[in-house]
Amino acid sequence: MTLTLLDELLLFSGATLLVALFIGRGLAAGWMVTILYGGQLLTLLKMAALGYGGGIIASSLSFTVMGQNLSWRFDALSWFFALITLGSALLSSWFACGAWERSYAKQGGNIWLFHLAMALNVLSMLILLASGDLLSLFIGWELVSWAGFLLMALAGGVATQAAMRYITYAMAGGMAIFGGLALVYSSSGSLQLDAVLIAVESMSTTKLWLLVILFGGGFGVKMGLLPFHLWQAPAYAETPGPGSAFLGAISSRMGLFAILLVLVKLFGIVNIDSLKIPFTLIDARDLLAWIAVFTIIFPTFTAMKQNDARHLLAWHGIGQGGYMLLGVVVADAMGGAGGLLHVFNHATYQAALFMAVTAVIHRTGTADLNKLGGLVVRMPLSFMVLLIGIIGLAGLPPMNGFVSKWLVYRSLLNEGMPLLFLAAVIGTLGTILSVYKLIHNIFLGQLRVEHEQVKEAPWSMMAPMLILAAIIFITGLFPGIPLAWVASVQEVVGLPATDYTLGGVESVSGSLDMIWVIGVLFAGFGIGAVIFYSAGRSKRVHQLDNYAGGHFLSADVRYQYSDNFYAGLMHLVGGWYRGSFLWLEKSVISLIDFLSLVMQGLYRRANAEFYLLSTALFVMAWVVI
Amino acid sequence: MSSINQIPVIEAKKGNPLARVFDELVRFCRSRSLFILHYCTGCGAIELPPAMTSRFDMERLGIQPMVSPRQADILLITGYVSIKTLKRVILTYEQMGSPKYVIGICSCTVNGGMYWQSYATAKKLDEYMPVDLYIAGCMPRPEAVIAGLQQLMDSIHAGKANSWEDYYRNYDYYLGNQQKLFGDNWQTPTDVIAEAKHYNLLSKGTLGVHTRLLEQHQQPLEALEMRLGHNLKEPTE
Ligand code: SF4
Repeated sequence: MTLTLLDELLLFSGATLLVALFIGRGLAAGWMVTILYGGQLLTLLKMAALGYGGGIIASSLSFTVMGQNLSWRFDALSWFFALITLGSALLSSWFACGAWERSYAKQGGNIWLFHLAMALNVLSMLILLASGDLLSLFIGWELVSWAGFLLMALAGGVATQAAMRYITYAMAGGMAIFGGLALVYSSSGSLQLDAVLIAVESMSTTKLWLLVILFGGGFGVKMGLLPFHLWQAPAYAETPGPGSAFLGAISSRMGLFAILLVLVKLFGIVNIDSLKIPFTLIDARDLLAWIAVFTIIFPTFTAMKQNDARHLLAWHGIGQGGYMLLGVVVADAMGGAGGLLHVFNHATYQAALFMAVTAVIHRTGTADLNKLGGLVVRMPLSFMVLLIGIIGLAGLPPMNGFVSKWLVYRSLLNEGMPLLFLAAVIGTLGTILSVYKLIHNIFLGQLRVEHEQVKEAPWSMMAPMLILAAIIFITGLFPGIPLAWVASVQEVVGLPATDYTLGGVESVSGSLDMIWVIGVLFAGFGIGAVIFYSAGRSKRVHQLDNYAGGHFLSADVRYQYSDNFYAGLMHLVGGWYRGSFLWLEKSVISLIDFLSLVMQGLYRRANAEFYLLSTALFVMAWVVI
Repeated sequence: MSSINQIPVIEAKKGNPLARVFDELVRFCRSRSLFILHYCTGCGAIELPPAMTSRFDMERLGIQPMVSPRQADILLITGYVSIKTLKRVILTYEQMGSPKYVIGICSCTVNGGMYWQSYATAKKLDEYMPVDLYIAGCMPRPEAVIAGLQQLMDSIHAGKANSWEDYYRNYDYYLGNQQKLFGDNWQTPTDVIAEAKHYNLLSKGTLGVHTRLLEQHQQPLEALEMRLGHNLKEPTE
């Protein structure tokens, strides 16, 4: 038996897990694991042909359980997601090595468990991404769910609570998926992708509806689609720093992967489009699109209210997932490309942002946006990384987030969906406002006296951040690089592929060339710089030599601080924050509480003989019938 | 004002004509985009809202309010200045970037006006900072304010509104008056002498007994420097 590249990759990943497990307590274990992630990434890059339309690479591992053939293989879709997974794993693990590890251990954290959980997450994600049929997909799905729980619960306290909430949602989602699988099996007699593909064509509308709801809901839980989004922000935010960078970058995109595989590839957008909702003008696809749009808007505006930088970012992670789904659901060449490209782009800037915030926490001990400020003079590089990250997150040129969002907007306009477009723009507005809050409250304004002596983050943390920042800019300048992979993913899942160029997309309905856009932008900066520098030497003044209505400022008095940021805006939109989803969640909880109470009542009151009798009767009846 | 530099001397125009055209252009632009700092003292301030808004509308002359002294050109002193306010006025004046112009509105800024007998007001504004223009009255109407501003624009255009240079040339005189009023340990964050050097305006009157007194207790406020790669030298924590 010869090992294929995929076998190598999975074995490598398994070996990483073993290293983390057995010698993870030793010296420089973090570095060792990081290097192993690098090795995995190299193995993945050997499969790079997949990203450019290469054929499927199967694993030699496959077996049959109860007549079901379980197999694993990699195609362009898996490769694309695996690239993001391993890239973010490598960089966040690198970020964790050295200074962060030491301070984490000093605060009582278990660094061994952290690396172990990371390695487990990566392995299980790779297994999920490699799934070759619906059964292996389900196995991978459950693995990813539990591995994620391990990482989220690490920090204890609030984190464990958040992780418990997550796993409750994930289990419910898993049940829905399992139900869907059972339904698929009953109609196709097999869980192989080919068999399902054929069976879908002859399925009744009701059945297809049920499947869309079950799978969409189940996978949507992981993606944090409305109304299943409540668990995500606290769970990701409370994970130890590099862990949240990793989870925020890729973890919830596993849901999108599964949606692409099952809903888009197997069921087909056309089939979903044919599912009309009676008495309305909309169908299942519109429903998904609107869910995506509300997933953009609500969490984004919730993010604006957060006072903890990590929570703010985590809420954005949910919102940005909406853009991805929206693009995929629009399903034309541009929309699909935008949605898929956003997966890549989001991973890069979200990881960078979480890392920058973690660096700030590492130096100042807090992520409370009301307790920071003015750090730009002390941590200028982290500021740069955060700035580049938020430009990407807000979807402004010259960073990569602009390209993917532009593609999504453009496709919405091309396909004649102005309302969705408007809603997506409202979401972007909220994003811009809240990322301004992020950078302003951490880095701008008055430096606090207690942060006078703060230093820039150590290089072990700075290096991965800078690499990510460079990726964000370069893929913004040359979006053709990831678009090539995206185009082959589109082909694999049966969406029309985009015509990409190095600088963007080429299309009759509107082209984008980022090289030009950025060229013009930088020419503008250049003119500004010429004016600025030709005007002679400028003078730098102390922050306290500042205008405050003519008041003499001193360091012990804070003349600039923030609390209740966007008070004016909140006055306008504050009434809209009603916690309806929290209320919904609570009502479901109390319903389940009530049911379990009823069951307990039965169970406690009745005596054992009654049970015995009824069971015996039931068994007899079953045998007879 | 008692300085000999204030006596007008007619100089022969020299230099190349192109530079003169350029200077002319700069002066023209300068006089047509004036920003008034939002800083008001005394009762005369009440005449500014009508001057600014639609009835008299000084924005049609290119004059607008500005919120920060660093970007502002004009400091309007709109009435009596109490000693406490004067400290703030001086601080703010020094924070403004040159060229800057001071206009004293109201009689109180000229000679103390009806507060002449007050122990708490500064009588003559031009003892503490050079004033370009006074608009007298108790209080002057918006027309007068606008007429005054137009006169300032004309003199900026003519290149004659350079009393701000006097603050650097005769800093010792102004500082002396300030010290007399506020006490010997008076200081502002701005390093005026360094600025005088920057503008090439350091002259005989800049330094003197008063500046020496200031130097004895002055604590300079250095700009916060960006600490880039600062951690390179640091020992691991
Ligand atoms: S001159 Fe008259 S209006 Fe102006 S500040 Fe003095 S008292 Fe007030």
